[in-house]
Amino acid sequence: MYRYDTIDKEFVADRANEFREQVGRRLAGEITEEQFKPIRLMNGLYLQLHAYMLRISIPYGTLNAAKLRKLAWIAKTYDRGYGHFTTRTNLQLHWIKLRDAPDILEHLAEVEMHAMQTSGNCIRNITADPYAGATSDELDDPRVWSEAIRQWATLHPEFSFLPRKFKIAVSASAKDRTATRIYDIGLAMRRGRNGELGFEVMVGGGLGRTPYLSHTIREFLPTRHLLSYLEAILRVYNRHGRRDNPWKARIKILVNQLGAEEFARQVEEEWAKSDHELVDLPDVELARIRGHFAKSFETLPARSEAFEAAKAADPEFARWTRHNLHPHKAPGYAIVDVSLKTPGLTPGDASSEQMELVADLAERYSLDEARVNYQQNLILPHVKLEDVPTVWRELKAAGLATPNIDLVTDIIACPGLDYCTLANARAIPIAQQIAERFADDEKAEEIGELKIKISGCINACGHHHVGHIGILGVDKKGEEFYQVTLGGSGAEDAALGAILGPALPYEKVAEAVEQLVEVYLRERKDGERFLDTFRRTGVAPFKEAVYADVH
Amino acid sequence: MPTYIKLTQDGLTTTEDPFTFVADDDQYIPPGDVILSLARFQADGERLLSEGRAVGVRVTADETVESLAYDLPRLSVVALEFPKFRDGRQYSNARLLRERYGYEGEVRAVGDVLREQAQFMLRCGIDAFEPADGSTPEAWAHAAGRFRHVYQRAADERVPAFVLRAERQ
Amino acid sequence: MKGLTANRLIDGEVVFWNAGEWIERFADIEMFDDAAAAEAAEAHAKAQPTVVVDPYLMDLVEIDGVWIPVAYRDRLRALGPTNHLQHGKQAEGGKVVETLQHAHTAARSTGRINLIKRK
Repeated sequence: MYRYDTIDKEFVADRANEFREQVGRRLAGEITEEQFKPIRLMNGLYLQLHAYMLRISIPYGTLNAAKLRKLAWIAKTYDRGYGHFTTRTNLQLHWIKLRDAPDILEHLAEVEMHAMQTSGNCIRNITADPYAGATSDELDDPRVWSEAIRQWATLHPEFSFLPRKFKIAVSASAKDRTATRIYDIGLAMRRGRNGELGFEVMVGGGLGRTPYLSHTIREFLPTRHLLSYLEAILRVYNRHGRRDNPWKARIKILVNQLGAEEFARQVEEEWAKSDHELVDLPDVELARIRGHFAKSFETLPARSEAFEAAKAADPEFARWTRHNLHPHKAPGYAIVDVSLKTPGLTPGDASSEQMELVADLAERYSLDEARVNYQQNLILPHVKLEDVPTVWRELKAAGLATPNIDLVTDIIACPGLDYCTLANARAIPIAQQIAERFADDEKAEEIGELKIKISGCINACGHHHVGHIGILGVDKKGEEFYQVTLGGSGAEDAALGAILGPALPYEKVAEAVEQLVEVYLRERKDGERFLDTFRRTGVAPFKEAVYADVH
Repeated sequence: MPTYIKLTQDGLTTTEDPFTFVADDDQYIPPGDVILSLARFQADGERLLSEGRAVGVRVTADETVESLAYDLPRLSVVALEFPKFRDGRQYSNARLLRERYGYEGEVRAVGDVLREQAQFMLRCGIDAFEPADGSTPEAWAHAAGRFRHVYQRAADERVPAFVLRAERQ
Repeated sequence: MKGLTANRLIDGEVVFWNAGEWIERFADIEMFDDAAAAEAAEAHAKAQPTVVVDPYLMDLVEIDGVWIPVAYRDRLRALGPTNHLQHGKQAEGGKVVETLQHAHTAARSTGRINLIKRK
């Protein structure tokens, strides 16, 4: 993974010092809250319902043991012994004090981490395929490019006061594991006619009050021009994005208002005028970044007898391998998904003890690497098949081996009204209630792939628009109600969900999900997933089941 | 005479401001150097320049510096107005003035101008400031000097990290 | 009836106004039935930018002899998160905490707070 050189280390140290001074000025009354708020947001610090929340950056979701251990320690020392992994692959701590924040930034700097630009109207954490460097279906390691963009975007003097937040995702395989279509900029790696590598550039995706899927503004951009082209897009947005209404300020509004063609034309025009040499990285720097991501694997047989024997001997282990294991590009290795979705617990939360365990496993069994994905789960990307049974046993002992990846209980949920000042309703208890109804592993397996996503408000941090079942918390006369949508998808077959019917009260939601699943089990044909059945039947049978007693 | 902060060879210093801002509906134009809105400049700019005055233009956040391109060689100052410190449009205007149009006169930040944005402004080529928060040149120099490194090129002379790294090899 | 609340600047803790002081337990909040007195307290709070952030007046309602906030958000601020009952102010327990919790979980879909019944 990328390791800081002296420049990077001095940068985060300077940032921690700067924030310490700024906090001091705020406490002394030398700057107002209005002036301070963007400053603290650009250091990841929100004022939430019960305390400050710190959002720590995990660039493209990649961690090592040292970082995970530090996060565990910070959670224990400054918070309540746990953290929440988000749909943007960052870590949130929900009980932080302002006076501790500068110290925390210093501790993070010790392990090459920071909280820069995880909030604010600037370029946020750049995400990448969570299986990068481990999957065989990638054209290149997308993290090389995410790191290049990360550095270019850090304290960018022209783009630190955009109309609104800005999110970029990078994918390099045909399977989209980063939801590129719902990003401000999605970059999908492609091979050009001459075999060279480039990106399909998609702009204007986003959820929230007005959800949009992105438009392709450039079919093929050679990789060497990535940064100069991004600069052109950001400049058009910075100059012409709306600033009169925060609900209309994202780039998706501008792209759809101008039309993708006109937007693309403006970007190309701006790009043509700029001197690309000044922005694009020289080959030597790209090679330097790339060198950090190279990994060598042992030569192993594709089949591990120990692994096969363990599967044959233990049906529970076998079930877990069916859902939580992904093929690795190196024979004899596997990618292990670590589920943070134990039914009945808070989705995406991990205790300090659990983080420490994953750190140990990463160090011993995964070439010192762990990942976070946008589904709020963790990953051990490079585990030898022969070690998988041991890893599973240790995960199981720590409550991290629920065999439910992409199944009904692998629910994405934002913190919701339990923690967040923006929320209209709680999301966590809804997730808990649904998961408890489907806690039986056999039942969950029978249902198959079903992606439920829950947001506590229209800001859609839970990605409800792209859930196979999406659930949105709304405020109806001061009570918690929930709008259900069906048929969304954040993968390469991206789609926005369709509304099922009138919003349901809090106590009816889990029951409604059960009814929806029953309809699916009744209607499905030939190995259809929930999403496939819905696409075939449409909303009618589902609506009828949930609202039957309303007629 | 009112003062403002200007970047000179001696660093950021308090400087006397010889310019008077003349509003669009001001019938009377005082003698000496003036700053006009874009619209007023388009109407009266020629005449005032021919009187031997130093003339500047004040650009609002929704105006673009492209419309000044041909006049830049004759302008002593371009004042970029920040309606709110969070409105970042003038950072693009500033960079274009310097990097695309090669403007060598004074680029001055006016409006909701705060010391915490000193580094961003200087890096975008702004070299003069009318602070709204009463801050001193020392405070601006301090705020602008907090980071030993930068990651990207901008309108200033600072060498980005990737160039330093290549030089080390 | 109103009560004044804010977040403490230094640590983000939810606090409540009681006779010129900021206290942490909702049970100890000063209640205002006079709008002018409520607004005067709010003005005082807004003049303390280095002590508290975002002070505002909450609407309160009486449930079984206990005054609690009308809005869910305000109840949660007085309690803590519902997924960790040992976190936040609710851990202390007591009659007011119980009233806040029961009023919350027993909400009816009519939207009329005073129809809430205990189990």
